[in-house]
Amino acid sequence: MLNPLRSEGEAFRFLLATVVYFAAIAIAAAAGGRWVGLGVFVCLTLAAAWLWLRGRRVRP
Amino acid sequence: MAVHAEHHGPPIANQSSRVNASVLGMFLFIASEIMLFGAFFTAYFFVRVVAGTPWPTPPFHLPVFVAGINTAILVTSSFTMHWALQSVKRGNRRGLQAGLLLTFLMGLVFLLTQAREYSRVGFAPHDGAFGTVFYTLTGLHGAHVFVGLSILLFMTIRAFRGHFSPEHHHGVEIGGIYWHFVDVMWIVVYTTVYIL
Repeated sequence: MLNPLRSEGEAFRFLLATVVYFAAIAIAAAAGGRWVGLGVFVCLTLAAAWLWLRGRRVRP
Repeated sequence: MAVHAEHHGPPIANQSSRVNASVLGMFLFIASEIMLFGAFFTAYFFVRVVAGTPWPTPPFHLPVFVAGINTAILVTSSFTMHWALQSVKRGNRRGLQAGLLLTFLMGLVFLLTQAREYSRVGFAPHDGAFGTVFYTLTGLHGAHVFVGLSILLFMTIRAFRGHFSPEHHHGVEIGGIYWHFVDVMWIVVYTTVYIL
């Protein structure tokens, strides 16, 4: 799992993930309106939280 | 007993075995920065969502296109920063120098474009809550870019003096983390203030 504070490489990958995250929300809000944007925001945030929790469990 | 006899000066500082001290310092610094930006985003949330202030408040307009170009420049500067570090890890000194110089120049272009945008945007910080929040959020970020540029300038000068090597490049690593953090914060600011 990404920890953007451990190294420059992970910070760079975190930046790319942030760009994709906010681009998806902005595109959804522009195409489908405020509520679609909010839905994408909630889905992506839950997915990110799930990935983060799973990464913590896997780590020895 | 022999160890005590050889050691001079103050005792060696205790250090966590899991996190390097300088990385921990950067961690605490960025955590405090997130709280600082969080306070300003809370103000933004209250002005826009709770108080229902129109965004942007008529008759003002936000220069979304110019800010979008500026965003592309800043994100590209993260790529050159990453390239610089990868270069020094492979022993490519020219790549390190070119990467750092390009990153510095793109950061400078971003900051100058932001300043030009301020002079042409048509409203001031005292023109209502919208103007105040716009200038505080973008201005706070601009201040961070200025700090990042100062760090980059020293890193670039050191790179041209031959201070970094594949074994010793921690200064580039820490500066890179800070620069990517500044870019991440801009993505958040640009999306919330200009796009949504």
